[in-house]
Amino acid sequence: MFAVTTLIAVSFSIGSFRIEEAERPFLYSVLLWIILTFSALSGLARSFIKEEEAGTIDVLKLSARPQAVFLGKLLFNLTLLGALELVIVPLFILLMAYQINFPGLFVAMVISGGLGLGAGTTIIAAMIARASARGALFSALSFPLLLPIMIISIKGCERAAVGISTAGWPEVRIAVAYFVIMITMSLLLFPLVWEE
Amino acid sequence: MIYKVFLTIWMAVVIIAAFLYAEAAVGFPGETSRILFFHVPQAWIATLSFLISMIASAIYLAKRRVKADYVARSAAELGFLFCVLATVTGSIFARATWGSFWNWDPRQTSIVMLLMIYGAYFALRSAVPDPERKRVFAGVYSILAFATVPFLVFVVPRITASLHPEDTMNPARPGLDPKTLMVFLGSLLAYTGLFVWMLRLRIRILTVEGLKEPKFMNRKPDAGQ
Repeated sequence: MFAVTTLIAVSFSIGSFRIEEAERPFLYSVLLWIILTFSALSGLARSFIKEEEAGTIDVLKLSARPQAVFLGKLLFNLTLLGALELVIVPLFILLMAYQINFPGLFVAMVISGGLGLGAGTTIIAAMIARASARGALFSALSFPLLLPIMIISIKGCERAAVGISTAGWPEVRIAVAYFVIMITMSLLLFPLVWEE
Repeated sequence: MIYKVFLTIWMAVVIIAAFLYAEAAVGFPGETSRILFFHVPQAWIATLSFLISMIASAIYLAKRRVKADYVARSAAELGFLFCVLATVTGSIFARATWGSFWNWDPRQTSIVMLLMIYGAYFALRSAVPDPERKRVFAGVYSILAFATVPFLVFVVPRITASLHPEDTMNPARPGLDPKTLMVFLGSLLAYTGLFVWMLRLRIRILTVEGLKEPKFMNRKPDAGQ
């Protein structure tokens, strides 16, 4: 809901012809990733807080291995992000009349960027569930970790929109590398956070 | 004591030499290249303390010695201080040579990232009440944040062009004036010495403060020593 509200606000205030033709690919990909990142930040913080508030966290600790819990939460977050992107990205393209020359690269970038967003935030969500001032803290902690993936995704989407051909899709590969690194680090560090 | 006296004299010599002995590099407006002797060591200390903080955090998570957490916290605090200094001096240099205080050069982007990571680290520490949990979370965050550094150092600068002077002023390259190199290395040594002194002082303060912490709040028997 937050995502749709932001999208409508952006679309309403900018419109589809306000920005110069040459500037569009870059500015649109910036806007798209700002909407996606901040909607993700508002939604993903909930994943562990829910357990904490419902009091189910202790049972979960007893019954499952920390890695299993982490992967389950990650999968949930990624599903949530996938659904978000499925709604927001087509709507954004429609509302803003976003011209994309390489749809394949664009889709791959949106998916891999989404994977990066999910991987970077899940362990943070586990930490802030135990802290005070959760909402603000979640954004403050996640944003520095997410900045690389945001920069890469913006660049990749811009490239897809303009249609500059590059062999091997470097941005997508960087995003996937980020995803793998974050998952590995989180799997190693999560048991420490979980058992604390 | 001798260490401190020596360090004071050494720093004074470096400051004088930086302005009087070394010559200003060609290709930079006026005397702006003298920033090399102050800005680069500051950035070096900011990065070094980030590394120390990460290693100390890893040691804390493995061994659960409170002392390691004191080192991690002290290094992070000093790193933040030097990071701010490097940002401010770098920004003044940017104004003098590139014409604006801030233009999102990749180097500026990465230093802002570093500032934000340090800021988030302290925010996390102050938001978790339980002392042991606070230390674990801070350690985990420190290591996670460190994992993103390669992306910022190697990936982002390749995507956008940088104006940051590397070729003309990189001490590792031949062609740098030997006088400049000497003063630069002296300054690097002086800053590192100052950093070590400040770090030890801060760790001692934290240790003394730790003695006041009520024992029953620590769950491990060896905590607080």
